[in-house]
Amino acid sequence: MITEIAPAPERVETRPTRPRGRRRAWDEVPRRHIYLPLSIYLLFTLIPFYWILLFALRPAGSTSLVPWPMTFDHFNKVWNERAFGTYFQNSVLVGIATLVMTTLVALAGGYALARFDFRIKKAFMLALLCTQFVPGALLLVPLFEIFANLRMINSLGSVIIAETVFQLPLSMILISGFIRNVPYSLEEAAWVDGCNRFTAFRIVVLPLLRPGLIAVGSFAFVHAWNHFLFALMFLSDQSKQTIPVGLNTLMSADSVDLGALAAGGIIAAVPVVIVFAFIQKWLITGFSAGAVKG
Amino acid sequence: MTHLRSKRLHALRTSPHNVTTPLDPEEESRPMKSSIRNRRSRAAIAVALGSVLALTATACGDDGSGSAGDKGNEGSGKGEITFWDNNGGVRTDIWKQIIADFEKKNPNIKVNYVGIPAASAQSKYDTAIQGGGLPDVGGVGTAMLAEVAVQGALEPLDSRLAKSSLNGKLSQKLLDNSRAAGGGKELYQIPTSSNNGVLWYRTDLFQKAGLDAPTTWSKFYAAADKLTDKGKNQFGFTIRGGEGSIAPALDAAYSQSGVTSFWNGDKTTVNDPKVVAALEKYVGLYKKDTPSADVNNDFTKMVAQWDSGTIGMLSHNLGSYQDHLKALGADKFRGLPNPTLDDGKRVQISNPVDGMSVFKSSKNKAAAWKFVEFAVSHEENSKFNQSAGQIPANTEAAQDAWIQKAEPTKLAAEALNGSDTTIVQLPYYLPDWNTISKADNEPNFQKVLLGKMTAKAFLDTLADQLNKAQADWKKNH
Repeated sequence: MITEIAPAPERVETRPTRPRGRRRAWDEVPRRHIYLPLSIYLLFTLIPFYWILLFALRPAGSTSLVPWPMTFDHFNKVWNERAFGTYFQNSVLVGIATLVMTTLVALAGGYALARFDFRIKKAFMLALLCTQFVPGALLLVPLFEIFANLRMINSLGSVIIAETVFQLPLSMILISGFIRNVPYSLEEAAWVDGCNRFTAFRIVVLPLLRPGLIAVGSFAFVHAWNHFLFALMFLSDQSKQTIPVGLNTLMSADSVDLGALAAGGIIAAVPVVIVFAFIQKWLITGFSAGAVKG
Repeated sequence: MTHLRSKRLHALRTSPHNVTTPLDPEEESRPMKSSIRNRRSRAAIAVALGSVLALTATACGDDGSGSAGDKGNEGSGKGEITFWDNNGGVRTDIWKQIIADFEKKNPNIKVNYVGIPAASAQSKYDTAIQGGGLPDVGGVGTAMLAEVAVQGALEPLDSRLAKSSLNGKLSQKLLDNSRAAGGGKELYQIPTSSNNGVLWYRTDLFQKAGLDAPTTWSKFYAAADKLTDKGKNQFGFTIRGGEGSIAPALDAAYSQSGVTSFWNGDKTTVNDPKVVAALEKYVGLYKKDTPSADVNNDFTKMVAQWDSGTIGMLSHNLGSYQDHLKALGADKFRGLPNPTLDDGKRVQISNPVDGMSVFKSSKNKAAAWKFVEFAVSHEENSKFNQSAGQIPANTEAAQDAWIQKAEPTKLAAEALNGSDTTIVQLPYYLPDWNTISKADNEPNFQKVLLGKMTAKAFLDTLADQLNKAQADWKKNH
């Protein structure tokens, strides 16, 4: 028995096409007009990174423009002699705890802002926005007094709380935007099917918030990872200090070990670069989703 | 469809999970009012408890007691004290050695070391003065002594020093600096070491060009001209135009002018015509014999540039010795005190003196003072300054063998204590000194370098601010 195989349907071009007139204009642009400015921009961006790599990898005193002969002495020095291993652990703890706490609280607060109506909602939103105008340094003394009264000076908890509190306003506003974009009827459908509000939120809304949660969480992590002031002011023991404070101790009043500083800078930058490399796609989706009012 | 929708809404309104149902069939997305349900309350409590437990786990902190208003007490001379190092990081190891020696000799006292990055030390002290958490003893340099002392945070140390074994063993010049920086009446700082301005120069480049060492200002300017070859990216000098530019500029100006006092009665000499002329000559080097990027030079860039480039001379201090040694090796450079006038007379500004202070709020001042005495004793002060490459405040330590071998430190010590040297005392005691000498006037100095402001206008502005600050200070003292 011969089975006739129907010819494969012609492939339909589904990619959106540029209007004809515009495409012609685009095609007529010489490629160098695009790549040249981009290359110059890229050079400006990458040269400082190359400079850091160069100083971190070439021996002290070398003036070579390539990191050869290559040495890991500077990394060894900052990791073992300057306690960067400890600083790294503390920064990871502060970063992850801030990420978790900020995301959880912002999720709850953002849900309330998106789904509930209450009397001072507008004023509350305005207050949240206004907190963004207050620099952290201005609040150092009151925060210090609060943590001193709580006997939390020189504990990582004080830094985690301070970082979380400073991250929350923006995070709540962002999350509430993402939640507004999720149709309310989806939650209602889940209630009809027997879910309570929390279960409906967990099963229906939460999975749709993934890009937003990644955006907010990564912001919280990176901010806590890089922030210097609170760690400097609230922590004293070397065993509790974080990477930004450690980097600063590599610069004395009259002398700077540039090799060690560059190696410390790379240790500080690598986790952030890795985080961004993995979440880049979600981050962009998250921002564009949050940008549209539902 | 409509029927289904009505059923769903009915179910919603009668659902046990929703007490209030403000849903309008016309506006599904309108937010609704709701009350807190038991289950959600439990979840919220669980989250809150979890957070508290997590924070408690990380929170083995202290209460940060000890602010400026706290008068503290003498204590038993035993127990724990906290020491803040105002230049933490590079000096951490040597301080830990000193602390270990101290604890071995005083087993009843434990010293908690806290290293603070140099650039943030003043902010950390200021926050602790206002919010609490001051240490028992800490490193306080003369550059910030006035601001800390004026807030009432420091313990006067005259009577303790008079009864101490240190009495008579500390450099009188440094003690005078410390006293002057604290306001002139009481001694709030025991000096540990002094820095000094050093003219670092490349011996290989000088030899190649057949130049003498730049021991006088005339030789300095001649060498700066001769060593400059812009086509080969070679310069005679690198000038500090960015952060921290005012003190080196004043050092160069006073040193060449021969004016030997910062004050003439109640008015500063900073805009004296001789000082103005000297500064004009000095800034004239910019771009002529220096790289044009120098306008943004802080000490980090300036030192890095000198260590990695082809520049004849650098005016910095003893602190960068180790950096030059690592980058250039011992044979390619030397460090001399600032050049003299042609008649051999040397004028230089007072350099910051580093030292230790006991805080008024300390609950164990006796132990804190014991630690100060120990750290500034002959052996420990020698060890510390050998590591830091600075001039010991302890006169016995200043005679040790290592200092005779470390040429830049030896020459700086000789210049500092030499009879031909006149030191122009900068007004570190003015609480506004840091603001005036940094934020208020560094941008103006950059304008002078760029030719947008005259040296005279710059120094006149500086003089006005200093005269006002001095008048204010005199009112209160």
